[in-house]
Amino acid sequence: MINVHVHVGIPRAMLYHEFGSLWTNFFRNAGVPVSLSGETNKQILGRGTLLGVDESCLPLKVYLGHVDSLLSRCSHIFVPRICQYHRNFHFCAKFAGLPDVVRNTFRLSPEQIIVPNVEYNSPVNQLQSIYNTCQSIGLPAIPGYLAYRQALKSWKADVPGNSKPSNRKIAVIGHSYLLNDNFFCHDILKFLASRGVNVVTPNHVARKVLYDEAKIFEPDIYWQLSAKIAGAASFFSRQSDILGIIMISSFCCGPDSLVNEYLEHHVLKKSDKPYIIINIDEHMGNAGLITRVEAFWDLVEWRQKS
Amino acid sequence: MEAEILKVTYPHMGYLNIPVLSMLNNLGVEVIEAPPISKKTLELGSLYSPEGVCLPYKMNMGNFIESIDQGADTLVSICGAGKCRMGFYNAVQKIHFKEKEQVQFYMLDTNHLFSDLYRFLRTMAPQASRLVVLKNIAMAIKLLKALDAMNEAKNFYGARTNSPEQIIKIYRGGSQELAKCIDFKKINSTRDTTINLIGALCNNNHRQPPKVVLIGEFYVLLEPYVNHSIEDLLIKQGIEVKKFVYTGNWVYSNTLLQGLGLYREEKAYLDKAKPYLNYHVGGDGLKSVGSALQCAREGYDGIIHIYPFGCMPEVVAQSALKNIASDYKLPLLTLSIDEHSSDVGIVTRIEAFADCIKRKYQR
Repeated sequence: MINVHVHVGIPRAMLYHEFGSLWTNFFRNAGVPVSLSGETNKQILGRGTLLGVDESCLPLKVYLGHVDSLLSRCSHIFVPRICQYHRNFHFCAKFAGLPDVVRNTFRLSPEQIIVPNVEYNSPVNQLQSIYNTCQSIGLPAIPGYLAYRQALKSWKADVPGNSKPSNRKIAVIGHSYLLNDNFFCHDILKFLASRGVNVVTPNHVARKVLYDEAKIFEPDIYWQLSAKIAGAASFFSRQSDILGIIMISSFCCGPDSLVNEYLEHHVLKKSDKPYIIINIDEHMGNAGLITRVEAFWDLVEWRQKS
Repeated sequence: MEAEILKVTYPHMGYLNIPVLSMLNNLGVEVIEAPPISKKTLELGSLYSPEGVCLPYKMNMGNFIESIDQGADTLVSICGAGKCRMGFYNAVQKIHFKEKEQVQFYMLDTNHLFSDLYRFLRTMAPQASRLVVLKNIAMAIKLLKALDAMNEAKNFYGARTNSPEQIIKIYRGGSQELAKCIDFKKINSTRDTTINLIGALCNNNHRQPPKVVLIGEFYVLLEPYVNHSIEDLLIKQGIEVKKFVYTGNWVYSNTLLQGLGLYREEKAYLDKAKPYLNYHVGGDGLKSVGSALQCAREGYDGIIHIYPFGCMPEVVAQSALKNIASDYKLPLLTLSIDEHSSDVGIVTRIEAFADCIKRKYQR
């Protein structure tokens, strides 16, 4: 039986933006009460900045802020450790250490967090992590597995809808936890919308297309999320209806610091499209952001005329 | 193309260049060693590197640029670190050097270091027999381990003497001496005489000096230019430094022992780091936490954590170290090093920390 007092909390940050529907559906299918933290706001960011190690990356600080907002109303926090999801790729060190960072920052006992450990992409590992998840909330393994199967099926079937057809499109590329977080990208997206352009992001393209696209970078890029970005950059740079590319990354993001340079050289410079790389951090005023996007937009329009 | 003699170079990392140089020289490979790391190396490296990347990348870059200026055309570097950024270094470094044509990279994968090293030496020195190559690899490891042993002796006796400067001087002389050794016997005898000389200067044996454990990222721990010779600074203050990261040990366990399946570093440190860190986090994160916790339990007097700014695994480790320090009531000094950190800032902090340790120790 599921313990009566179980209430699982899922922070709406980091990999939630990749696997979110899979996780929430799993708990819902299994009949476990689950709640999400709210959208990122100033308070959450402030708490996260205070709690986190100074030089950790912005998404990690945001994550801690979300966990903090869940602690008072949830009995368990769901913090999966995902190291490898695809055979050829890894995730960065922050994801591998996420459960430990959460546990150490909040001094949680091991019972308070649910940590499925996805170390390798293998069927055995998959079963193990489902079993562990079920164990920690007192859910029997068989219904747990069925709930997972069902959730996985709907997650895989969830093919992103195409963006509206338009001949004025700007591609905004970055980690999904930055792009999908309204707090960070709202201003940029609003500005572009006000100029009547459609925005396309990697989320509008099927995952498989992006990973296939990324195959040409394979021996070099070994981070999964970076491969997705690389795939998106190379995919968008070939589309004739895309007027320009905006790359968004966060300050102190380890993979991005090198991958951006790599993509700039191998993809963006060759593509003959205007591009800009924007780095965001927690001290950012939106005026600086808007000015840069405006300047970029001027460049795009100027290119169109000539 | 093959008729041309390749001029090999490699980035500096502590005293690693001593055995590498002697190994390559013995095999008749032409080496152009990068000039010792200086301010110029740092400036060149930072100039030609992406802004947000970690310090070891910038240093490696500086080393490569300086040695290419002197005529090197084959750059040897290591890769394959998994979760950490190091595996991606060469992909980006290549972009810069591509413009300079005539330069090729040779990568040694840390996951199969021994076979990669062997293959590299065979291609670089085709005239040398298999046995000679193997003998030279073994000798390089031996040299590294001798250097490690001398360093350990310096840290141990240096804190127990009234003249630490002299011990440091003997140690440096011994290292230079070792660079000239060409057989196992000579290495052994040089190591032993140096350690004996250092031991003889130890005139303060009756008391146990305060002990700190030095942990952090591999490169920063080993390269004295980057860490401002933190070990020497501490022993001059009369504090014994214990370090768990040694190149010789690392190479030994990653080539021979791992090849034979006798040793898995991850596993060993995973047990030590519990309950503060329960999973491998890439790089040296787990090792840092594991050895800090071990020393905290053994009654050390302080922890110094040193890493390049923004190092991903060490940032994860830091959250665990904070808790260890407060649970065991140990002072913790965190030094995050980037290209802007001036020696004055670092030295002052280390001195203040040393004072704090000593006062706590006397009580």
